[in-house]
Amino acid sequence: MSKILVHIATSEGKIKRSSLEVMSYCKTLADKNSMTLEAVVLDPDPAKYTDQLNTYGPDKVYQVKHPIFKNHLNAAVIEALSKVIDQSGPRLCAFASTESAKEVIGALAARHDAAAIPDVAGFTINNGSVDAERPVMAAKVLSKTSSSSELVLVSVRSGSYDLAENPGNAETVAVDFDFDESGLRAVLKEVLSSAGDKVDLSEAEVVVAAGRGIKDENGRKLVEELAETLGAAIGASRAVTESGLFPATLQIGQTGKVVSPQLYFAIGISGAIQHVAGMANSKVIVAINKDPDAPIFQYATYGLVGDLFKILPPLTEELRKIKGA
Amino acid sequence: MKFSVCIKQVPDVSAPISIKDGTLTQDSDRMVLDAYSASAVEEALVLIDKHGGEVQVVLVGPEKAKETIRKALAMGAASGVHIVVDDVSGLDSGAYAEILAAWHKKSDYDIILTGKQSQDTDAGLTGGMLAWKLELPYAANAVGLTYDNEGGKLTVTRQGDSGQEMIELTSPCLVTCSNDMNEPRIPSLKGIMQSKRKKVETLQLGDLGLDPDTLSSKTSKTKGQGYKEVPGREPGKKLEGDPEELVTELVGLLENEAKVL
Repeated sequence: MSKILVHIATSEGKIKRSSLEVMSYCKTLADKNSMTLEAVVLDPDPAKYTDQLNTYGPDKVYQVKHPIFKNHLNAAVIEALSKVIDQSGPRLCAFASTESAKEVIGALAARHDAAAIPDVAGFTINNGSVDAERPVMAAKVLSKTSSSSELVLVSVRSGSYDLAENPGNAETVAVDFDFDESGLRAVLKEVLSSAGDKVDLSEAEVVVAAGRGIKDENGRKLVEELAETLGAAIGASRAVTESGLFPATLQIGQTGKVVSPQLYFAIGISGAIQHVAGMANSKVIVAINKDPDAPIFQYATYGLVGDLFKILPPLTEELRKIKGA
Repeated sequence: MKFSVCIKQVPDVSAPISIKDGTLTQDSDRMVLDAYSASAVEEALVLIDKHGGEVQVVLVGPEKAKETIRKALAMGAASGVHIVVDDVSGLDSGAYAEILAAWHKKSDYDIILTGKQSQDTDAGLTGGMLAWKLELPYAANAVGLTYDNEGGKLTVTRQGDSGQEMIELTSPCLVTCSNDMNEPRIPSLKGIMQSKRKKVETLQLGDLGLDPDTLSSKTSKTKGQGYKEVPGREPGKKLEGDPEELVTELVGLLENEAKVL
């Protein structure tokens, strides 16, 4: 029986939500096409994720245990995934579209003479063809891309699919993995986390994002206070990261991070298509902008037309009362 | 130190576009140097200013794309290589990587730079594929580069999932560049004049032992099946009024209607 293999991305001892979204969808896809669903975890301690993974119904879980997976190093990830791909022989290998996955998917495809369709907004399998849709041309349109290759690698944008539990009891397979770092011509020296990364932006349930309208330090402070009150991650539009008010690591959009929280605040963001591409999968979007014609209002669940400097202080105050209660 | 920078000519993605019967139409047929490619060129120029060396740019594309090579030469690259492919529409990232690999196998370089993706397709596959085909260590999504002349080591700061990772690569190596790493220079008049005298080597696929039909039918493992509109979101509520009222109304909706608080 042909197989779907899902790569499971983890962060700080937890499976990333975006990987669980991919698992949820692939379970449906596997059942519909009479395929087997398999998962692969690369981690210093991969066994600790088995219970959580079983909630999503894989038939088999490959565990690749090695201390090197504490941090991302592409050579090790490629080596390990290649080994599992050879062992499993999947028809389709699916990833959450994380920076780590994006870095390895091309090399993996070249190594396995496979097709790669990255950063898809959706995909399916029809008569042996993998059909996907992905945003192109600055996210103004979706390109329909398909492949009939024997192995297709797909990475999925976060928020493209809903979580759906499907409890099962997977067979676990410990994969032997020796990795010799000594001959490596790429060495990870250091991981620098910036202050803005307190809450992982791409996994956050609530995101407060700042745009050009916040103007200065004063606006930034108002945004930070709102985010702190909500326990939210902070994001920013390209205009604001370029101005230096927020670090580039917080940029949301087609060239930055893709987020899909339950609640997204667009503060002083006009809603350029490149930014929208990074947040349109958010469940509820609140936009605050003084320009009633700003494009962001076309996407907002609740659009507030007004001066953010006058709206944010009472909003934060009101939310503080609710959250404190 | 010799940089080989792989650049791409792309449609101006800021121009309005429309879809008719699954086909893309752009208001403007203006073609430009891809912004990520431009950042890669800029970064190479900054590094040779500091450490010496030269920058060569390589482009796969139709005859018309020569103007994009001239743009990179006007920025300061020393020479260009134009691998002429009249119709690139059937080529996917795998085919681009195959062509670029064939060229680099017969050329000299210490460091290959590419954009982390290109503005038209946003795929971001070619760099990693090329690195694999050339057996080079690589890092993707670089936001900073420093070079140590003595050890031949390149330190790449890349934007990862949780913070930035610093990776030391031994050359020869490959790096894909983010547009966050620098502000590409605008060519000066002098640069533009000089670019006209710089050498551009022109090659056909056959010169690299490649066949256009095989590249589109076999090497390209994905096929474009047209385009469609991005689905819109359901229209929401637009609230206007004085700030205190807006806040009360919004908090009520978030609590009772959306139930997200």
